Parts: sequence; C-alpha cells; structure tokens
Amino acid sequence: KDESAASKDSTPEGAAKSQVDGAETPKQQLLDIIGSMKVEVSYRKKLQQLKASENKKQAVNKLEGPDSEGSVPQGITEDTQRGKPLNPELVKAASAVASSLPHDKKQTESELLAQLRRHEETTDKQKKGGTINIRNVISEMTVKRQSPDRWVARKSGLISLQLDEDGQRIRPERSSAHTMDARRSLKVGKRLNIFTKASTEPEHALKTVSSPTIWDLEFARDVAAVTAQPPRNGFEEMIQWTKEGILWEFPIDNEVGMEDDAEFHEHIFLEKHLEGFPKEGPIRHFMELVICGLSKNPYLSVKQKVEHIEWFQKYFEEKKELLQEI
Amino acid sequence: MAAAALCWALRAARQVLPSSCPRQVRSYYVDWRMLRDVKRRRTAYEYADERLRINAIRKNSILPKELQEVADKEIAALPRDSCPVRIRNRCILTSRPRGVKRRWRLSRIVFRHFADHAQMSGVQRAMW
Repeated sequence: KDESAASKDSTPEGAAKSQVDGAETPKQQLLDIIGSMKVEVSYRKKLQQLKASENKKQAVNKLEGPDSEGSVPQGITEDTQRGKPLNPELVKAASAVASSLPHDKKQTESELLAQLRRHEETTDKQKKGGTINIRNVISEMTVKRQSPDRWVARKSGLISLQLDEDGQRIRPERSSAHTMDARRSLKVGKRLNIFTKASTEPEHALKTVSSPTIWDLEFARDVAAVTAQPPRNGFEEMIQWTKEGILWEFPIDNEVGMEDDAEFHEHIFLEKHLEGFPKEGPIRHFMELVICGLSKNPYLSVKQKVEHIEWFQKYFEEKKELLQEI
Repeated sequence: MAAAALCWALRAARQVLPSSCPRQVRSYYVDWRMLRDVKRRRTAYEYADERLRINAIRKNSILPKELQEVADKEIAALPRDSCPVRIRNRCILTSRPRGVKRRWRLSRIVFRHFADHAQMSGVQRAMW
C-alpha cells in the first residue's frame, strides 16, 4: 500500500484525482491510475509505477491480469531476472499501458518495449563493467589553478617580449612548462576506451575509370567555361592571371619551378658517375674537366648533370672502334 | 612542301582563347619572316644541349684530332635552323629586323609611338 501511495505521489496531477482509499484492491488501484493518467506522463515513471504495483499485487493476491490481456503469471519478481528476452510481465504491463493511451497502441507498445530493452542492456553493461566509468576519467584530471600573480607575470612577460629584442629567454621556459604538463597527462593513466578507432576505409580511387573519356573532358571543359565568369574588378582579373601563370605570385619566390631536392654533395662530387670511362687517357682527362665545370654550375639540376655525363658516355661508346685505331 | 608549310603556319596561328574572358590575343604572326624566325628559335632550343656537347669535344686540345674531326662532321649534319646564330631579334610588333631595342623587343618607331602616348612605363622624353 505504501509503495502504491508513493508511486501515486510521483505521478502528475492527473493521478491525483484517483486518490483512492486503502480499501480498494491493488488491481483496482492500478486500473484507476492507468485510466486517469494523461499522455504527458513519462514512460519510465509509468513503468516504475507498474512495477511497484505489480510487486504489491503479488505480495497480496493472486490476481487476474488487466481486462484486455490474459492473466499475469505468478512468480519471480522482475528484479532478479536479467536475461536478454524481456520479462513477460513487463511485456504485459507495457501492453496494458499502451492500450490505455489514446495514441496508436501498437506504436506505443513497441516504444515501451524498446525502452525496456535499452534499460536492461544498460544495466547488464553496468554489471559487467563495460560502460565508461566516470571515476576513471576524472581521476586523471587535475584542476589547473593559476594564481593571479602568475597571470600578471604572463601579461608582463608578453609585453616585455614585444620590447625585448632577444625574446628567447622567456619563451622556452613557458613552453617547457606547457609540454611538461601535457606530457604528464597524456602518457600517464590507463586506457579509458571512450573513443573508437576510426576505421580508415581503403581508398576507392581504383574503382573509377582509369582514363577520362573524351566526353568527360568535353563535359569538364563546358562546365569550366560556363562557371568562369568574366572578372568583375581588377583584383579578380589579377587572380585569374595568377592562376593561368601570366602573373607571378607575390611575394615573389625566386625558386618557382625549381624543386631541387638534392643535397650539395650530389652537385659537387660527381666522380661516381665516371665509372663507365677508362681510368687513364685523354678521355678521362676530358671527363674530369667536364665534371669540374659541372660542379661549379649552379643552374643545372642534378638530373641534368647526370644526363650530360651519360650523353658523353654513350658518345664515346659509339666511337670506340675509331678510338682503337688511334 | 607548300602544304606542309601552310599546315605549320596554321598550327602556328594558334588560338588560345577560352570561350569566356575576352582578351586580346595575338593569333597570327606579323609576317612569314617572323614565322621562320620562330621556327629557328624552336629548333635551336631543341638542339641546344647536343650542340653544346659536340662543341665541347671540338674545342679542346686534349682529345685526339680524329675525334674532333668526326665531331665537326656531326655538327655540320645537324639541321641548319638549329644553330643559334641564325636567330634575329626582330621587333615583335612589326617584325622589323633593324633598330630593335633589346630591352623592349620593339623597333624604334613603335617604341617612340608608345612612349609618346605614355604607354611605356617609366619612359620619359629626355631633356637635359
């Protein structure tokens, strides 16, 4: 009786009307509550209420079920049973609630059951300890307290940096402090399993057609021609020119188009390319002069220099018989 | 041969205009002499490396003379238009072969025309 009263108190004002006296049976109470209940009631509260009333029912009497459904089976309370399939009592209760509501009964029933299932799942997970334990997360966090004088010192430090020409004194200290803090919090502590690894899908670039057909090219050209509006002002005109390559990009980069990734030693020490040549003789002398000249040439790339030497190699290979006669 | 030259000329008279963005583009060369000059510049660019290397063999005193004679014959066998000496710096607007200032690539008459109309940046009539 107490439970039902408590549960009744928790429901909204709609149920206040059905404040029945203790003389009525729990079943009557349940039915009255359901009948007078408004739609705004949350399902969870209803379920709790139902559970409480059902426990009450079983404690008191063997009762028949609600009018529309069959009899409520006796036996175990819902709390003990935590299997995957829902408790049939819960199902019955859910269907009873659904039937009492003015909306679509099937839908409400399914929603109620889904809620129940979710509830069961979360409780299962919590029992197994799979869900995120807030305690673990919070344990590693520390509240960062910055005293006001430190704030003042920072501000003054910033100002002094501007005035200071050699501003390198102050910066590394602060940065080291920051990295120290970050290091401490990043590498310490056990895994929390909050984020799932984002699965990087294999690139689907190979699925598409290897070479674009003529129609694709035509289409692309038409689209480009249509979308390319004439420039509205001088700035847009200059932008267009820069894209086409007529105008240089500012600030001017002296090394545009010259992407020489080779190190200086590849430019200067070119003797290793001289392996195909005879060790002695005028040809070797000549090639050494060539290499000396190439090593002083800043305008050619390493590839061009290598090609130069290879051309000479090929040339002398062809002229070999002539050279033998000499 | 005339047909080949005509084909070449048509190819040379290129039109680079995209459909939008009207911009003045020079689509023809001023005259045939300018076209021939353009041809010579192109072949000279293509054969520049080879010419440099063969000349390097020819113009040194280390290699044997027979080799140098062979190199002479080889360089003579290259196309005549590939030598850079045949390039003439013509005026780009009128194709005038003489009186061309190198900095502007214009003949003196065109230069004077533009300068008087204040279309040459930084150019002023001298007075001292």
